[in-house]
Amino acid sequence: MLRRYWEQSGCRSPACWEEVPPVPTAAFKDVSIGPDAPEAVFRTSGTTIKPAGRRGEHRVASLALYRTASRRNYRRHLFPGVASVRVVSLVPNPTALPESSLGTMAGFISREPEVSVAAWAFDPERGVDVEVVRRAVAGEPVLLLATAFALVQLLDAIEELRLPTGSRIMETGGFKGRTAAVDRETLYQRIGTVLGVPESHVVNEYGMTEMLSQAYDAVAGAAPPLPARVHRFPPWVRTRALDPASLAPLPPGRPGLLSHFDLANAGSVCHLLTEDMGATTSNGGFRFLGRAAGAVLRGCSLPAESFIRTAGRP
Amino acid sequence: MTEPAHLGARLPDAPRLDGWLWPPGLPVPESFVETRAGHAQVRGPAPGPGCAEALVSSLRAAGRRLADRPVRQISATLAAVAGDLVRQLDDHALEEVAANAALSPAMTREVVEGIAESWTPDALDRLLRAEFPDVRALDGFVLEDGRAVRAAGPGTTLHFGSGTVPGVTVTSMIRALLVKSPILAKPGAGDVALTVRFARALRAADPVLGAGAAVHYWPGGDPAHDDWERALLRLVDQAVVYGADATIESVRARAPASTRLVEHALRLGVAVVDPARAPGSAAHGARAAALYDQRGCVSTHLFLLLGDRDQAARWCDELADRFASLHRTLPFAPVGTGTLSAVHQLRGRLALKKAASGTVELWTPRDSPTPEAPRTDLDAPGWTVVLAPIEEFEPIGARTAWVVPTPDLNGCLETLAPLAPVLQSVGLAGIPEERLDESGFAEALFTVGATRIVPLSDVPFPGAEWLHDGARPLGELVRWAEARRR
Repeated sequence: MLRRYWEQSGCRSPACWEEVPPVPTAAFKDVSIGPDAPEAVFRTSGTTIKPAGRRGEHRVASLALYRTASRRNYRRHLFPGVASVRVVSLVPNPTALPESSLGTMAGFISREPEVSVAAWAFDPERGVDVEVVRRAVAGEPVLLLATAFALVQLLDAIEELRLPTGSRIMETGGFKGRTAAVDRETLYQRIGTVLGVPESHVVNEYGMTEMLSQAYDAVAGAAPPLPARVHRFPPWVRTRALDPASLAPLPPGRPGLLSHFDLANAGSVCHLLTEDMGATTSNGGFRFLGRAAGAVLRGCSLPAESFIRTAGRP
Repeated sequence: MTEPAHLGARLPDAPRLDGWLWPPGLPVPESFVETRAGHAQVRGPAPGPGCAEALVSSLRAAGRRLADRPVRQISATLAAVAGDLVRQLDDHALEEVAANAALSPAMTREVVEGIAESWTPDALDRLLRAEFPDVRALDGFVLEDGRAVRAAGPGTTLHFGSGTVPGVTVTSMIRALLVKSPILAKPGAGDVALTVRFARALRAADPVLGAGAAVHYWPGGDPAHDDWERALLRLVDQAVVYGADATIESVRARAPASTRLVEHALRLGVAVVDPARAPGSAAHGARAAALYDQRGCVSTHLFLLLGDRDQAARWCDELADRFASLHRTLPFAPVGTGTLSAVHQLRGRLALKKAASGTVELWTPRDSPTPEAPRTDLDAPGWTVVLAPIEEFEPIGARTAWVVPTPDLNGCLETLAPLAPVLQSVGLAGIPEERLDESGFAEALFTVGATRIVPLSDVPFPGAEWLHDGARPLGELVRWAEARRR
């Protein structure tokens, strides 16, 4: 299938990774991508509305490969200087939601030797369980794993809950399809005020269901202020910013649509065209600028998301 | 997210415009707020205490003065003002309207001039005659079949516009004023510039009539305007609401029972084409999909082609050629990264689907038979033709035509049946009238929800008297009374 896709895209035999035509992440909602007998099938959360209502599906050949691909980077960015830590997860428990790639990674993290206890404080239906969080944060430092959306839920639900000194937070994801979007600067300020965790101990993880490697914007405990942060993937990932109109590669510093080439995606598709905006840096990192702004303009014509609801499609 | 600097440079400088015109005699607003609307910065008054009451009260007073004005005179004035508005749309004004609507100037002119065909004296006359056997019923009681009947618009109308098509709000204002109902118009974000120009021109040409037309733009759905919207909904007699389900549901939830609601939800346009009998239909099809950059409720998204896949593919070739031609004369306006990203994602996933199953074919500027790759960034995103089974269809917009081969008219009906709640215009090409009648196809289309069945060439611009979403555009505004005597 990918060979035919390459041929259609005018590239029969790419000579280097840049020549491999990227597959748009939305394609994971349409086409079964990956091996026939996958060890795991990860699905997108369904909060993305383009194309409306359909959930992306990433068929993963080997969970061991996923663990290997993610482990080096999360250890490097979340665990430095940690002797013993409690994990509190506002990411779904992988036992309850095995189709969540993020939950699966949280499961990997919870089994690291430094983790004494893991508390799962998020239910996809009911949201954040504040009591579980309260009970879990006493004692030794905490590693809080959370989507930005769940983190806002937690912050909204409590006035103050000081995490033990040395605690750190990994936050990820945006507010796709949600109403309570806040910018990261505000989020980090609230984290400092409510949870007592300084900005230096909060890191952002950039990842997606469609790829098995992740990027982090800092090392927890030594994170610089937000404006100075740059996301970095492990060395087997290459990132480019592409001109949003022509998809031509842009030089470092010029913002465009991000494409990633992830060798850990062996068995599915390595080169991905995302809907994210960002700019690469000259030393291999990238600055993540958020989702491409603005949907296709509408008038009084029915948009796809309403159509899907009307037509009763999944 | 703020548009990155180098991408922002692609977009024209955002014009600043006043998005309001209050009735005369109201105090000058104490403060203003500026918001982004389309590609324009729009300034409007920050509604203060008592503002809604003063506005609606002023409009109600204007309505009392309008009551004595013969409807024929009102119609003539509206048509004259609307005609002058379009004739006097110079380059500067056109660019302002275009920037606000995020359409190219060429497309804006095409759209405004097309819609304005429904504002001419003849068009308004047709509209009145189509709806009222004796149009003088809007001026007083008239005899009809042994009784006297009278029609009147509500004391005040609030127009809730949404979207980015210029001209929709002017049409709504004209309709309200024809039934002598003063109107406060909240235009859609992309329809502010033309609406304000019309209201100002009307005020200048006829102060009495113009006093019954106020404009005030604010961003719809903004919680900061909730109190303001609730106050207006409580004070006016009628609200005409255009928009998505969420908008309509929000207004329904907040409007008191005493405020009448007239709703126009988002709609879908389709076409049924027999290419063997309609050799020029691709040109009309491209126009029906491309005009308004496919944002109009009348815009065609789905083409059901009678015949097999090969016939449909040949028609797609032709449609792609016609899209390419239109792309030269009616280009896209510069668009933001969100639109560009959405189009790349659409094309990429369809291309992968084609590679996976072979059930999807794709035509884009890049692989058009007459290569028409974007000449500059400003030409993106171009257009897309998709030949696919109906299961793949999504009205993605941005000049995307979905072509589905269908064996016969019954097959078309089966395909359209699930779309009944949102179906509006059905453009026909190559379906002879006798076939329409003999086969009962028009009747069947009506049954599955179509409210407008017209030649494909007529799709973009409905006449003034069209049955808008299945209702009479003046009839849905008025209240009737009868007087009988022994």
